[in-house]
Amino acid sequence: MSTRPPTLREKRRYILARIEPAGTQLEQKDLYYAISDATTTLWGDATTAIITPAVVALEHGHVVIRCRRGTERELAIALSTVTACRDVRICLRIIAASGTIESLRSRFRPKKIPKTKTQPGSEPETEKNPAGADAGIEPVQPACTFAKKTFQILHCNGQKVDVIEKGFKNTNRLFLTKDDLENLNATTISDRI
Amino acid sequence: MKITDAAVYPFPLGDASVRRLALEAAALGYDSIVAADTPSGTYGGVEVRSGLMIRDVPVKDVISAVKRYKDAGKVISVQAANNSFNRAVIGTKGVHILRGIQSADKTAFDHVAAKMAADNRVAVDIDLSAIIGGRSVSRQRAIHRYMDIMVLEQRFEFPVTLSTHARSLLDMRHVRDIAGLCSLIGMDVPDVERALAGVGMVLAPPKQAVTVIA
Repeated sequence: MSTRPPTLREKRRYILARIEPAGTQLEQKDLYYAISDATTTLWGDATTAIITPAVVALEHGHVVIRCRRGTERELAIALSTVTACRDVRICLRIIAASGTIESLRSRFRPKKIPKTKTQPGSEPETEKNPAGADAGIEPVQPACTFAKKTFQILHCNGQKVDVIEKGFKNTNRLFLTKDDLENLNATTISDRI
Repeated sequence: MKITDAAVYPFPLGDASVRRLALEAAALGYDSIVAADTPSGTYGGVEVRSGLMIRDVPVKDVISAVKRYKDAGKVISVQAANNSFNRAVIGTKGVHILRGIQSADKTAFDHVAAKMAADNRVAVDIDLSAIIGGRSVSRQRAIHRYMDIMVLEQRFEFPVTLSTHARSLLDMRHVRDIAGLCSLIGMDVPDVERALAGVGMVLAPPKQAVTVIA
């Protein structure tokens, strides 16, 4: 089948959204089903057919969703009702909409930092961030205490710290800040923040 | 005008600390949040107002709780029940917000209650978690109820607040998304702006009808 000429193709738009919590591993197909379900339950089959949502890229914690031009608003509202993907709680934070995928890719792809030449005699730069592959992510501490319990740090970015309780009984993720951890490590602070 | 999320539940009611919720709220475009059972403060440029949510108690207990916390600077909100309860609550001085109208019975909030709410400056809360997290019949019922509330609001002009009832960061939504979700219940952008500023409106001291100059 030959491809249609550009004038006969339907116009499309692409929406870039960040997946939260950070570091959540999702399959593209599962995310498509979650978005399709959210769109269908909110707008119905007829409108979803007009929107034609499709997940076209899922990389670096971001997702690019395709829709028909003019239906971005409806898709954005439907995306705000996505709460889970295969029983994993997620949230999609819309960042931008564009007419091309490439312009959106440039927004979330990590920029390559040019390597600086090391001067002879000086020590080569050691890797400062072995745990975080992305730029801006601080080195991850192994564990911390919070509410008199020991937690493992899953993700740490700036002030934000995501932790999960050690052990197998309670695997709920907690969203804290560095200040919370510092306060709770002190002996005088009560369980409640 | 402060853009406010009228109800969030930090740890231990939810899974995020109040500081983290405030950070997220700042990123999502809010100026302040009302957090349940949390002392007031400012974190990351976002004002955290202390909220008191009263639910499942008779009117007598509501009045005594309001008396106790009246001067504590808390945002006092009461869970809606039947019509007579709601009228009594709206008539109680010190109550700021009537919540959970979507889960109350159909006649819980009528035109008389709407007029009383306008006169006493008691806001009616639009709980967006029913639209975000709800599916099928429960969501349809909530949308229908909110549309009915908005018809009364247009007529009587009582304050309205918007809340996500977030127990997690993942339940919070951007102000832009809130505007989109509110369009489902017939609210346009000025309505949404007014509703997001609703908490500040009910907390502000009432303007005197007559000002004595000399």
